Amino acid sequence: MSLIGTVVGVYIPYIAAFIFVVGVLYRVFQWSRSAVPFNITTTCGQQYSLPWLKRTWIDRFDSPFTWWETVIRMLMEIFLFRSLWKNVRYELPAQKAVSTKWLWVFGLVFHWSLLIVLIRHFRFFLEPVPWFVSTLMKLDGFFEVHMDWFQPHMTHILITGLTLLVALLYLLYRRLAFPKERTFSLPSDYIALILLLGVATTGLLMRYVYPVDVSEVKALAQGLLSFHPPANPDLDLMFMLHLLFVSTLLAYFPFSKLMHSAGIFFSPTRNMPNNCRAKRHVNPWNYPVKGVDWNEFYENFKDDLDEIEQMGFVVRPEEY
Amino acid sequence: MSDTEVKFEDMEKFEIVQRFSNWKELLKPSAEMRKGFYSYAASLKDQEYLNLPFPREWSPLDDDWKLPPNWKEIIINKMDELRKKYRSFQVFMDICVRCGACADKCHYYIGTGDPKNMPVVRAELLRSIYRKYFTKTGKVFGEYAGARELTEDVIKEWYIYYFQCSECRRCSVFCPYGIDTAEITMLARELLNSIGISQRFTLTSAAACVRTGNHLGLNPGGVVNSIQYAVDDIKEITGIDVEVPVNKKGADILFVTPSGDYFAQPHWFTFIGYLMIFHELDLDYTMSTYAAEGGNFGFFHSFEVAKKINQKIYKEAKRLGVKWILGGECGHMWRVKHQYMATFVDDTYEDALKSLEEPVNPITGTKFENASSTKMVHILEFLADILKHKKLKIDKSRNDHLRVTHHDSCNIARGMGLFEEPRYVIKSVCNYYYDMPDHSIREKSYCCGSGAGLLADELFELRMRGGMPRAMAVKYVHERYGVNHVTAACAIDRAAIPTLLQYWKLPVQMGGVTELVANAMIMSGEKERDTDLRGNPLGEYLEVEV
Ligand code: SF4
Ligand code: SF4
Repeated sequence: MSLIGTVVGVYIPYIAAFIFVVGVLYRVFQWSRSAVPFNITTTCGQQYSLPWLKRTWIDRFDSPFTWWETVIRMLMEIFLFRSLWKNVRYELPAQKAVSTKWLWVFGLVFHWSLLIVLIRHFRFFLEPVPWFVSTLMKLDGFFEVHMDWFQPHMTHILITGLTLLVALLYLLYRRLAFPKERTFSLPSDYIALILLLGVATTGLLMRYVYPVDVSEVKALAQGLLSFHPPANPDLDLMFMLHLLFVSTLLAYFPFSKLMHSAGIFFSPTRNMPNNCRAKRHVNPWNYPVKGVDWNEFYENFKDDLDEIEQMGFVVRPEEY
Repeated sequence: MSDTEVKFEDMEKFEIVQRFSNWKELLKPSAEMRKGFYSYAASLKDQEYLNLPFPREWSPLDDDWKLPPNWKEIIINKMDELRKKYRSFQVFMDICVRCGACADKCHYYIGTGDPKNMPVVRAELLRSIYRKYFTKTGKVFGEYAGARELTEDVIKEWYIYYFQCSECRRCSVFCPYGIDTAEITMLARELLNSIGISQRFTLTSAAACVRTGNHLGLNPGGVVNSIQYAVDDIKEITGIDVEVPVNKKGADILFVTPSGDYFAQPHWFTFIGYLMIFHELDLDYTMSTYAAEGGNFGFFHSFEVAKKINQKIYKEAKRLGVKWILGGECGHMWRVKHQYMATFVDDTYEDALKSLEEPVNPITGTKFENASSTKMVHILEFLADILKHKKLKIDKSRNDHLRVTHHDSCNIARGMGLFEEPRYVIKSVCNYYYDMPDHSIREKSYCCGSGAGLLADELFELRMRGGMPRAMAVKYVHERYGVNHVTAACAIDRAAIPTLLQYWKLPVQMGGVTELVANAMIMSGEKERDTDLRGNPLGEYLEVEV
């Protein structure tokens, strides 16, 4: 048992973490190396032009003029999914679009749950457990449901673990059940969901059904973090499964669309201010292109242009 | 009648067949050229004139597109180049999660039901190739990673679908990462150009613009003739002699407008509107025959052609010694002027930009701070400022025969953020203004269906289908409020929307915003007027004929 423990508990997580870190850095490096030739911000609100012209607070962030407005736009995008909030669905044959928020709701629930679950996991890695982690635990376990009848060790349910699972199931459901979504979903879209579902289910099973020895888990987590992993750890099956899913996900991450989490910071339609006419953007690889200049133009249309000169450069109504 | 002209009754009622497929099917290129959905190839003459790579006669209908022998290599190399030059390209290729928020936001998808017109799938057409040649997973897992081989059919498919995108950026508004399929389309067209594939409509206009200074290919004399007709018309309507400076050195302002305004209908009324207003304000301005075009069809083709056309305005501004530039009502022109123009400037005309001054409205003294770097002000910003300061005498009741709604043109909506200016201007000169439903205006505005070079005749069916959501929104306000006039600050809209309204049998007319201002403006010394600029009687509600 202990050899498997070492492989699954130590080697694989280390390899996966290595691929994850190097891979993500490499991709980010690749993006940052390529140029941003133009300011192509997508303007989703009234521009700043005449100072008295009506510009609502949301216009300022949907069409930012200053750097701080741009930062808020990005934050709204990252934490509130501003663009998805706008989602509409086109209805044929009524020929109108109606607002739809399901993707926004479940997308947001999924990402926030995942974030909170991740932060909760700090308690395995850090001793003493930081205050914000324990506070978060308390908030997350707001509904204390005594489940002694089910599992004696359980006192409360952590909400985000469950919402994570529900949101993932919805995201999978829409790809399988909706015709449009089925049309463009690639195998890689399912792989990402299946891996995440694997992580979530094994995690939940450990917590609620097959309890694992938490002190073992903590010892391993802290050992891994301090680069002194315990020798021959003896791990529960469910925990090993959980670790395997997590490791696969980490190793897969840099090669997949999951990179969107880093990519959104690089999206030029969102991270640039709409001040294109006030501040000149310089294209780093700009090069001269020869066009037709005035002299060449004049040569080509000499007669016409001379005639305009004879008119004194003015066009007047003809005498009736 | 050529075989491309589609008679209206041919397609009285088209059906939208939504096809749902799966990822494996979508990886197979669909290279079939269907009438009404593919564009003609650029003419040899234009390709040669613009020094494009591999100029030749070819047709999309031919089996053999006469691609250069190493075309595959060229495309891959070009892709490599683009991913280093455009962060947008690399990031947009890498991070799409296929959430589908963009899928039914494209008016071409709504109107055709073709899954390859979903923005996410449109991008996948290119992304699948990118994966194959530039990512590990694509190289190893092939189609299971959503990657596919680059073949001639893929090129044909690109030609079809990247010319079924009007670069309207509506998809980008809804994408949680701001992935802009318009940007992907622009880069795909750049790739196609690298192996000598260009679309006829864009290239004809672009070549004409480089040669003559405007998309229509009018000689300077032709431009002057148009202005001549305009001042004659103004005299007939108002009895006032309006003089229009052309190529005049030392004026304060250089005025550029899309060349469609010079004679197309209903652009014309906006054109005479500008001239009337400038006269009334006694503005010291000039037009130019060298920079006779505000628009830039090169923008729909490639970086280089776009730059070729763009430089004229600054060069002319310097030659004439003006202080700043005022731009007429146009859509893509303003996307370019706002987001690209000053960036395009290179050392061959850097000094031209420097010779300009920060724009100040000579009539009101307002500083256009937001244009302090590019020195280019939008006519509606200018007019909003003028109307706010009450510098024109306005009789709103002269527009009482109209119930007005405003179509936000894609480029100035999502590439500039010009929403309130037109509304402020219209409401200052009209008593009856109604917005279309929320999902169809402002940043969510639907394209007219004919932008980015898709105004070509051969794309008629695509255009009418793509314009359907817009037409339906107009229909809604027409039925509810009796709207009989749509405004749009875009020359392509003014060409596309009347046809669209006619096709969808809506008794609604359309025109530019400035036209309404000129209509309501009382000029000093004008004769009694009982019609609007178009000759419609003032006063009673205008019944537009279908
Ligand atoms: S909305 Fe953005 S992330 Fe979602 S499928 Fe479309 S392009 Fe991809
Ligand atoms: S830019 Fe407009 S036309 Fe192109 S894919 Fe997006 S929504 Fe469709």
